[in-house]
Amino acid sequence: MTMTEQQEGTTHAAFTESEERRELRQAVRRLAGTYGQEYFTRQARSGGKTTDLWLDLGKNGYLGVNIPEQYGGGGGGIGDVAAVCEELAAQGCPMLMMVVSPAICGTVIARFGTEEQKQRWLPGIADGTETMAFAITEPDAGSNSHKITTTARRDGDEWVLSGRKIYISGVDEAKNVLVIARTEDARSGKLKPCLFVVPTDAPGFEFQAIAMEMVSPEKQFTVFIDDVRLPGDALVGHEDAGLVQLFAGLNPERIMAASFATGLARFALDKATAYAKERTVFGDKPIGAHQAIAHPLAESHIEVELARLVTQKASALCDAGDDMGAGEAANMAKYAAGEAACRAVDRAIQTHGGNGATQEYGMAALLVASRVMRIAPVSREMILNFVAMHSLGLPKSY
Amino acid sequence: MNIVVCVKHVPDATADRKFESDNTVDREGVDGLLSELDEYAVEQALQLREKRSDEEISVTALTVGPAKAADAVRKALQMGADKGVHVSDDAIAGSDYLGTSLVLAKAIEKIGSEQKVDLVVFGMASTDASGGVVPAMVAERLGLPQVTLASVIESQGDQVRIKRDGDTATEVIGATLPIVLSVTDQSGEARYPSFKGIMAAKKKPVESYSLSDLGVEASEVGAEAAYSAVEEATARPPRTAGEIVTDEDGSGATALAEFLASKKFI
Ligand SMILES: Cc1cc2nc3c(=O)[nH]c(=O)nc-3n(C[C@H](O)[C@H](O)[C@H](O)COP(=O)(O)OP(=O)(O)OC[C@H]3O[C@@H](n4cnc5c(N)ncnc54)[C@H](O)[C@@H]3O)c2cc1C
Repeated sequence: MTMTEQQEGTTHAAFTESEERRELRQAVRRLAGTYGQEYFTRQARSGGKTTDLWLDLGKNGYLGVNIPEQYGGGGGGIGDVAAVCEELAAQGCPMLMMVVSPAICGTVIARFGTEEQKQRWLPGIADGTETMAFAITEPDAGSNSHKITTTARRDGDEWVLSGRKIYISGVDEAKNVLVIARTEDARSGKLKPCLFVVPTDAPGFEFQAIAMEMVSPEKQFTVFIDDVRLPGDALVGHEDAGLVQLFAGLNPERIMAASFATGLARFALDKATAYAKERTVFGDKPIGAHQAIAHPLAESHIEVELARLVTQKASALCDAGDDMGAGEAANMAKYAAGEAACRAVDRAIQTHGGNGATQEYGMAALLVASRVMRIAPVSREMILNFVAMHSLGLPKSY
Repeated sequence: MNIVVCVKHVPDATADRKFESDNTVDREGVDGLLSELDEYAVEQALQLREKRSDEEISVTALTVGPAKAADAVRKALQMGADKGVHVSDDAIAGSDYLGTSLVLAKAIEKIGSEQKVDLVVFGMASTDASGGVVPAMVAERLGLPQVTLASVIESQGDQVRIKRDGDTATEVIGATLPIVLSVTDQSGEARYPSFKGIMAAKKKPVESYSLSDLGVEASEVGAEAAYSAVEEATARPPRTAGEIVTDEDGSGATALAEFLASKKFI
């Protein structure tokens, strides 16, 4: 019996993905291809949304592939939902809310929510009708999430939440937001993180779009939370396990961000290679015959493939329940993919010459999105800090 | 009710097409997929099963082709078909429409020997050979009425009514099961295989038949028995640059109209 035959589900082994995973990619590719970058940028530039595509993904079961079957999902793993995210981006439709709603929120609730919470929130996350945003970043607590000040206090059976969040994606498209806040530990008086599901129409909950340069229908928001009253069961899972729960969402977050980035890079490289085969400037040889054009594209192709490989490793470890092992790989994947995406987009623009800067060719439109992949959801510097300290055992630098 | 959908594995039309040394289509060396026109057939079979959900309806996807053709069956299973049958035999290679229809008809008879087949569904044509005659030939061989090129299909009990859109009129045709049906690309978009469908397909039964299982002699099919032979295959000439009409003095519209008229577009 070979390694692959032993596999159950769509897990990953022996450096090739299972047939089912590849078929999932193919199906998503086809669906996303009917929308494509033209749709995505048209919606972005006209102030429209990608709701049609989102619901189409939900209807076909691609959005919630990682959500357990009994809650309306596909019963697959992070590797599956990451494949969906990557293929979307590779067709010119990079969807940030894939990272947030099914992968972060879906994973946290599926793993730690009460039975009632799972039944209430997971089906809508899986079919896309009740998207959930995720809010951890604060104006004074970005990379250092230990500094968050959004607090929750008990008032009888209820919670009262106050604070401010920033750069929160897709609040306008979400029904709820999974908000990271702190509660006071009754015994020690120390603040500990807790996760709350806050409806976006709750009184006292307001949000304002931040003007971003990224060409995307998905917007970022500043969120103002002023004495928002929540029922007792708005707290996900256990009050004392907030940190563990939060960490459970971080590996999926990084794996998804990496897949978003490699998908974006593949899209740019596909366009660039097609252009390099067609465009002739000197003589009758296409520009792709010049190594100055060919080599950077080949190099990027290698970088993207390497990033994909470590992303798949992270997914496999994550799906096998090895959170610690997955942590290192997921951080490396996020780092490698962010760098690969930036370089691929830069080179794709260069390959296109002046056309690289036009709206028609859609390459410059990828610039900010690819650049953001070195910043969010965790910056390259913070990953290097992590690897230096945890993988190499160097002194803590932050 | 027992429905058989015939599905063909064809070379990916977006990839380069290759031919074997005997000028038959290279089916092993290229990427293939379930013929898009057959997806409509699978879709209609599945819709029929869903519309008549109070009945016991089984949908079997049937393909004839080399080892790789199993992909076409699997795609149909991912979309929702219940089981698959794959007829594969080296002797089938190079069969013409008559040979192919013989193998299909025998396979349908074999499927029917376990449970009577009420409905055989085809796409309107394959995307590689584009003959569109196989449904009629299979109907003839099975001795069943053929109801072809349907754009709308309704059924109740053993009655089926279809709409067939022609150039000048739309016909409404009624038939009593069992029949052979072919559906057009106007019959409704085919569904994408869902993630659950992809996972479930793995566990669905697929039977493999050889020619001897079907009681077909090797001499009846294949390139040798074919009535036609491909003498030569020439690659399509590369795309030419096209003609650009420049408009500097206001004569552009006339030039454009003349060009279109010369090509008989207007
Ligand atoms: C498009 C987009 C979407 C986003 N969506 C969401 C969302 O949905 N939900 C959410 O909660 N957040 C979201 N964010 C926020 C994102 O996670 C943060 O921007 C990110 O974590 C960085 O935090 P910061 O912006 O506060 O940067 P800072 O923390 O202020 O960092 C600034 C710079 O300093 C560097 N730096 C800081 N500390 C150190 C150190 N110790 N050593 C070395 N370098 C250091 C950082 O790497 C960075 O380069 C989004 C951001 C963007 C751009």
